[in-house]
Parts: sequence; C-alpha cells; structure tokens
Amino acid sequence: MKAAEGMFDESVVFVTKQGTQVRTDGGRIVVWDVDGDDGELASYPTEKLDTINVFGGVNFSTPFVAEANEHGIVLNYFTQNGQYRGSFVPERNTIAEVRRAQYALSEQDELEIAKAMIAGKIRNARTLLSRKGVHGTDVLKDLGVRAENASSKDDLRGTEGEAAERYFDRLDETLTDGWTFEKRTKRPPEDHINSLLSLTYVMVKNEVLSGLRQYNLDPFLGVLHADRHGRPSLALDLQEEFRPLFCDSLVTRLVNRGVITHDDFTADNHLADDPFKTYLSKFDEYMQEEFVHPHFDYSVSRRKAIRQQVILLRKAITDEMDSYHALTFSR
Amino acid sequence: MSSELINVSDLNQYAYCPRRYWYLHFYDTQGRNYERIEGKTTHENKSTRGDWVNELYLESEQLGLKGKIDVLDIDDAQPVPVERKRAESGEYYRSDELQLAGYCLLLEEHIDEPVREGAIYLYETDQRMHVPITEDHRETVRQQVNAIQAMSIDSIPSLTDNPKKCEACSTREYCMPEETVMLEPEQAEGTGFEEVISE
Repeated sequence: MKAAEGMFDESVVFVTKQGTQVRTDGGRIVVWDVDGDDGELASYPTEKLDTINVFGGVNFSTPFVAEANEHGIVLNYFTQNGQYRGSFVPERNTIAEVRRAQYALSEQDELEIAKAMIAGKIRNARTLLSRKGVHGTDVLKDLGVRAENASSKDDLRGTEGEAAERYFDRLDETLTDGWTFEKRTKRPPEDHINSLLSLTYVMVKNEVLSGLRQYNLDPFLGVLHADRHGRPSLALDLQEEFRPLFCDSLVTRLVNRGVITHDDFTADNHLADDPFKTYLSKFDEYMQEEFVHPHFDYSVSRRKAIRQQVILLRKAITDEMDSYHALTFSR
Repeated sequence: MSSELINVSDLNQYAYCPRRYWYLHFYDTQGRNYERIEGKTTHENKSTRGDWVNELYLESEQLGLKGKIDVLDIDDAQPVPVERKRAESGEYYRSDELQLAGYCLLLEEHIDEPVREGAIYLYETDQRMHVPITEDHRETVRQQVNAIQAMSIDSIPSLTDNPKKCEACSTREYCMPEETVMLEPEQAEGTGFEEVISE
C-alpha cells in the first residue's frame, strides 16, 4: 500500500524575509521583494498551498487575501522570532456539523481521546530515550499503563505531569558534550536548550493548528488542556504525542550535530536572526523528511503524518471511527 | 430536506461510491475536486453545432431530479440526450449509464414522450456509443434518488466494495479507507476491504 497522493508536503510556506509582500499572479502565489530590488523571490502554484506562515514585516496584498479565502489557504502571523500572533481563516473552513460534533463530546468521550494522546506521548518518550541508548525507563512504562487506565482528566493530568518529569530527568543523557539539560523552564526559557524546545513546540503546535483548521475542527476547544481565552487547547492536546519524537528529537539533533551552537543565541536566550533562519529551514526540512509509518507501513513525511492524525481525530469526533488512534512508535 | 431535487450528475457520484458522495455532499469544503473542475472546462470549450441543443436544463418534482443535459441531438425525429465523458480507459461505467438514464427520464417527462435511448460520447476515442435505457436503469435511478434523499450526516456509508475505485478518488486522502481498516479491522466487514486486511 502507498500513501494517498496528498498536497501536504509542500503545502506549507514560510516567509521570513523582511520587507516582502505576498501577492497573486496568474494562478500563482508570489513573494515579492518590495523594499529591496530583488523582485520575485519565490512563487508557488495556488492549488498546492494550504498554509502560509509569515514572520515579522511581511504583508499580503488584498487580492491575495481574497484568493486565500477562495482557495482555503490559512495565513498565520508570527513575530520576527517566531511568536504566534494570530491567523486569517478562510470562511469555508467551517463545517457546522464538525463543530457540532466536537462541542457535543461528552466528558467521557474527551477522556478517552485524551488518554490515547497521553499514553501515546509516554510511549514515544520511552522510544526516544531508548533510541538514544538511555535505558531503565520502566517507570515510564508503568505510567503509560496508568494513563491508559485513568479514571478522570485530573488523574490523567497527574500521570502526564509525573511522566514528563521522569522523562525530562533523563533527557540530559541524550545530549552531546557541552550541552546540558537540567530542568524544563518555560516563561522564560532559562537556557539555550529550553529555548530551542520552546521554539520547536511553538512550531509544531502551529503545524497541528493549521491541520485542525484545514479539517474544520475548533483548535480552541480542547479535550484535556483547560480552556483559556486565546489558548489553542485542542492543538496542545494533539501535539502531546508528537513532542518526544517530532520536537525533542529535532532539538537534540540540531545541537548534537553542531547545526546550532551556543554562539547562535542572544543574551536573552533567543536565536539571533541568521541562526533563526537556519532553524526555520532545518525545521521545514525535518517536517518533509519521510519515515516508515508504524501503523500503515508506507513512507510519509512528518508533516503528512501530523495531518493524518488530525483526520483520525476528526473521525473519532464525528463517529466515523470508534476511537482515536495516536501515532506511536514502539522502537 | 427530502423534497430537495437531486442533481443527475450526483447519481453518478453516488453510484461510484456512496461514501465518496457523502463526503462531497457534507464535507467538501476544500473545493478541490479536480476531475469535476476539469470536466467543466472541457464542456465549456466545446462549441455549438447545427441540430444540437447544448446544455438543456430540466427539473422534475415528480422524479426528484434536476440537471443539465450536455447535448440534445435532434438530428433524427427522436431526441437523444448525449453525455460527454472523459475516460482514459476508453470505456464508460455503469455509473455513467445511470446518469444518462436520469437525463432520459427528465427529458421524457419534459416532452411527454418515451425516451428509450441516450448516448455517451468519449473524448479519448471520439466515439459515440448508444445506450438503450432499460427498465432496470429506471428502477435503479428511482432507488438511488430515494437513497440520496434519505442520506444524513449521521449515517456514514460503509467503505466501497471495490477498493480499486479509491485509487483515483479525490476524497481518499481524508476518507483514509485502508488506514481505517488497519486501525479498526471490524470496519472492513462486508466491504471490499475484507481481502485487503487478510492479505
């Protein structure tokens, strides 16, 4: 069997060059250097794209926005160093029936989906550690079983917290000399590794968010993360199973291979401008990299695998499937 | 809802795969149905010739159908609806016949005379094939109109009985038929995917 011909892999575009404008030109989307003299920097067939991410001083022409609306292209706005600001969502990306099914989920339905996601995350955390030669992760195995049997969301959150703590305790062992990971810090990240982890979580969260929008789910209504104004809870929920193998593994790869060094960071632990561009291109490459799907037995890119999980989540929500099946790797 | 008229071209979609039709009807927000878009462009490029009526729109409450006949050939005394198709294989399908039967039923009600045959024109081979409309065609059209009118978003049609059809289907990437049965083998029961998972 082979994967369905999708448009996922080249469907996401990142625009980081400042002073550019995204326009339409005869069925193509063009990035134009407005402030400089370089003219057309890149162009893409409109039919193929579903997401455009812009960072900082990039603007969209009005005819382009109309075109994006027409073709169901989601536009996400970020600050120059990758902080999410908001989105333009095409009007057709709202199927009332999908929303209705999502809003009608019972507490028990939500718990079942969340259990699959968290158990998947714990399974994948063990797999990442074992791939890196870190052994003695039986505690995580037990916590995985506990997640599968959780009786309430609070119970599940407790198990998830404990598993995260155990996992991050061992993550240091996966890093090359000169890098250490002591503990996970978020606001603000207190060291370079934490900064890279936070950035990567934001980037993958955005992949998940675009996928949820593309398939008409409401990213702000979660199954496990508490609803909070402005927080895309469902994206955060679905992101859980991808954290170890699609996020942490990219970070360890970038530092272990010397792609990112300590010199690439500013005093407040942010990547400097050029290293940030390097990071984005490495991230995009990583999303397009293929692996053999553990359940379907064909090669898919990480980006496509994430979109497929969005579709499987929608199927679980709309009762097309009996349960949600997380993406798990057992080795 | 049940009094809504069914597009004759939807008879074709439904006959091809009820689940595909269900997706297109209730879920097709992407608007990326390439084949349909391509088909439309081809039609527009055809010019009118003598003795042909192009794009005759008909509807009938009685039949529960509406639709545009591509071409109505009135060369002979008997008008013959012609449906133009792209088919790389050089053959047409049972679902194409049903669509044609739908037009014939609409036409005979419109002119109040029996229409016993239609024709399918294939671009690839430049062939025009005559298709006699049988009682079986008529009965199937009636059944399908009823089935389509009775469809709801909550009644999800099962997977197709012929997995080969999935290969060219534009809804496959989100229908995920094989992936579905690999994760939930019980969904293959009674469909063409039973063999796929037993392989």
